[in-house]
Amino acid sequence: MRRIRGAAAAIGTVLLACGCGSTVASQGAAPTTPGAAAAPAAPVLSAANSVSEAGGTWASVPMGTVGPNLFWQLVRLPASGGHWTLETPPNVATSGAVILAGQQGQGAAGETLDVGIRPSLDLTFSPIVTTSNAGDAWSALAPEPGLANVPDALAAAPGGEMVALDKDQEVSELTSPGAANWSSLSSQHAVGATAAGRECGLTALTATAYTAGNMPLLGAACAKAGVAGIFAYSAGTWHLAGPALTGPLAGQRIQVLRLTRIGGTDAALLEAGSGPSAVLAAAWTSDSGSHWTVSSVLKLDSAQPTSASFGANGATGVTLSNGRGALIDGPHGSWQPLPALPPGKSVTLALPAGQAPEALAADGSVLTISRLAPGAARWTTAQVLKVPIEYGSSA
Amino acid sequence: MPGMNSGVTDNDPTVVAAFRAALAHQGIIALLIVGILAVVWVAIRERRQASGDGAAGLGAVGPVPAEAAGRQVLRIGFGLLWLLDGLLQAQPDMAVGLPSGVIQPTAETSPVWVQHLVNWAGTSWSYHPIQAAAATVWIQVGIGLWLLAARRGMLSRLAGVASLGWGLIVWVFGESFGGIFAPSLSWLTGAPGAALIYCAAGALLVLPERYWRTPRLGRAILAGLGAFMIGMAVLQAWPGRGFWQGSVNGGPGALVSSVQSMVTTPQPGFLSGLVSSFGSFARQDGFGVNLFAVIVMAALGAAFLTGRRRVIVPATWAFVVFCLADWILIEDLGFFGGLGTDPNNMIPVALVGVAGFFACTRVPEATPDAATAAAATPDGSGRGWVPRLAALQASLTRATFGTMASFSAIGVIVLGAAPLAAAQANPAASTVLAQSVDGPASTVVYPAPSFTLTDQRGQRVSLPSLRGKTILLTFLDPVCVSDCPLIAQEFRQAGQLLGASNKQVELVAVNLNPLYHQLSYIQTFDKQEGLASVPNWLYLTGSPATLTKLYAKYGVSSQTLPAGAMLGHSDIAFAIDKSGTIRQELDFNPGPGSTATQSSFASELASAATQTLRAS
Repeated sequence: MRRIRGAAAAIGTVLLACGCGSTVASQGAAPTTPGAAAAPAAPVLSAANSVSEAGGTWASVPMGTVGPNLFWQLVRLPASGGHWTLETPPNVATSGAVILAGQQGQGAAGETLDVGIRPSLDLTFSPIVTTSNAGDAWSALAPEPGLANVPDALAAAPGGEMVALDKDQEVSELTSPGAANWSSLSSQHAVGATAAGRECGLTALTATAYTAGNMPLLGAACAKAGVAGIFAYSAGTWHLAGPALTGPLAGQRIQVLRLTRIGGTDAALLEAGSGPSAVLAAAWTSDSGSHWTVSSVLKLDSAQPTSASFGANGATGVTLSNGRGALIDGPHGSWQPLPALPPGKSVTLALPAGQAPEALAADGSVLTISRLAPGAARWTTAQVLKVPIEYGSSA
Repeated sequence: MPGMNSGVTDNDPTVVAAFRAALAHQGIIALLIVGILAVVWVAIRERRQASGDGAAGLGAVGPVPAEAAGRQVLRIGFGLLWLLDGLLQAQPDMAVGLPSGVIQPTAETSPVWVQHLVNWAGTSWSYHPIQAAAATVWIQVGIGLWLLAARRGMLSRLAGVASLGWGLIVWVFGESFGGIFAPSLSWLTGAPGAALIYCAAGALLVLPERYWRTPRLGRAILAGLGAFMIGMAVLQAWPGRGFWQGSVNGGPGALVSSVQSMVTTPQPGFLSGLVSSFGSFARQDGFGVNLFAVIVMAALGAAFLTGRRRVIVPATWAFVVFCLADWILIEDLGFFGGLGTDPNNMIPVALVGVAGFFACTRVPEATPDAATAAAATPDGSGRGWVPRLAALQASLTRATFGTMASFSAIGVIVLGAAPLAAAQANPAASTVLAQSVDGPASTVVYPAPSFTLTDQRGQRVSLPSLRGKTILLTFLDPVCVSDCPLIAQEFRQAGQLLGASNKQVELVAVNLNPLYHQLSYIQTFDKQEGLASVPNWLYLTGSPATLTKLYAKYGVSSQTLPAGAMLGHSDIAFAIDKSGTIRQELDFNPGPGSTATQSSFASELASAATQTLRAS
């Protein structure tokens, strides 16, 4: 009998250890994201943005809901004014994002827009399409290996050459519009290994563009304080081509949020520092980076920039996570706070040439366009665009 | 858990019909097995009796001792439980619903390694849902009948082995180890899993009968049960596990949450009302309910550990009452809702308690063992087939109804297990999943519309140039984000399933998106899908005008949808024979796109190719 009781006690002990052990293990299992702390600083800016060309203003906005029911839309406002129209390229799901690349050259009168579709669901590469008639007809260019999720992942030169930043930090180029395939140009690793890359302490590539001389440009996040990570490609290697920073920007880590060409000017949006002390500054160059004009700083007051758009003459507008926004007219302007932005799940600014700024607020399948008249204290609804989204079509 | 869910709805009519048909067919075979064995048995007995051998054979084995009461309780109780479990497994939703509706929720709170293990089993089930569900029915019915029929001897002990073995499989894969590795482990809600108790009962039945002829086994059973109860009481009382609170942060506590989830299952109104009332009571006074449960569990455990008759008699009765109360008020009988597979842990554990009690208190008197008596009879060990046949006939003549019923039950188990084993040998999923999504393939006979297009290597390819080979043809959009990549994978898998026949088959896709007609798109699609190195894969494209005309010829729809949607198109596949005649049309919408449905579509495609090869 003693043996039986001993065995029973042992069984009980094992059961207890089993049960209690599992309980303690469960309670002690704190949620962790391995590797999160070591991840390089990555831009948080949405791919939503607008770009003004000679023929009109194009904007890319996320609509619908989430996942396969998120549908990015491309809308256009003619230069002559009027109404925004839906010009989303057909026959491809845009759940990943629509990346804009205007083929602007100095004094370009045409209106060729190249568009990259980010990968989504089971599609791992990026279809590229182009239109030269305001979206009436589209034709496909060679597919890109897979665009990064940044607004300047794709850039086009007036001749139709393109440079792209991939989701895996590779840089590809399309040497002519008719080329059958993209070729590898560089990568984060390769740029980081150059003298310029080491000077920057490159942690991530964030943008692509072309100089006025049609040489590829790359934007980046730098670990070294006071270095603006803008790299120009010439003579077979990458050189630092960003502005020399002074004042409050000099002692901060700089991240290039946007880098694009507007007419004959390259414009950049820089974020300096992080947290409550983070600031934004815009910078412009018309000579491929030899000389830059850097704006005053815009204090973010703990807000995050959510989208940034460029208009004619280098005008730059940003929206912030606190529902506010700010605008700078160009190299000779200063940051002006905007009234509280219209409500919407995603709000993007558009800066059409010669017209008042507009805010595109997307919510589900409704895009509300509001206009800020000169001197006005609030936005006025100018147009409501109901987008016929085909929910479930990608599932 | 990838693979666990086939994506097909639980009550899919195609699968349900196939499941019912399988059960009906196997049921008829089971009846035939029983009938044949019965006829053979009766015939031999009659013949032996007529020849004068029967008198000795039919009653000469001497007195057979009565089966111990405790063992009888276990054998009959668990026989009935297995029978009930088998019948519950025959519910229509079980074939598709068991992995996603039973196994997956059970494993969700368990550690990752348990989930991986269970996911493997769930995926295997999802690949062959009909065979797996039918096998489960027949194996469990067979074990139940076997336990009920085999009262004595080796056959009865082997029934215990079957209960132990199958119970272990169910406990690991079906119950995720009874949730013993999950944080919310509680005996009141099902721990350590009903199937583990079936295993314990099976192990007890395996013991030689002499163990049942002394009270020591009964005391050991009750002592083990007592230690288990005390362990469960401590676990129930352990702080921080949520059982002491009726509500936590406005939500239900651990016990109330379990009760409330049971109430949501379809069941008779009076029962849900009763359980719901108890849930409300437990929510209001969670501490009191848990305190009562902990005290009762600890007290019963201590009582069983004493081994004293005057203590264990009332303790056993109280234990049974407590189990029944828990079974009704907390576990809600356990088997309602269309996917209930057993009555949970309380009835089995109560049976073990009662068996232990009888094993302590009703010990049979020692009598000559039947085996000893049987040893005196001829065993046919002589040389030559004639004496062996005679011995076999003698054995059959002496065989009782229980013995013959046991063999019939074993036949039922084999009947269920054999098709499942055969199905598992096939790495591809059953075609029933594809047919449940899109219906069966249509058999047709008409000439395939001709085409001349360009393949992914830039070579011109025409339909006549492919004569002499069987063609599996489909239409794919190279920038499609969902269906087309799935279909491409199904084609690739179909080629692999065809084995040597694959050399006689061309896997052909035509570009379905005229905007993205360039070679670079189909090449990139091939690279994306791992098709670039498949030797008999052809992805064809042409000018937008050529492609659009071809869609019309094949009746394939292609529609531009607005606002960022991908191209709307039909999913279809054709099997074309060596002479260029379309033999089968397959609606090829890949449905949920699970690994099981993908494999199933690949099987269907391979089957279409094989049939077309044979027809031409």
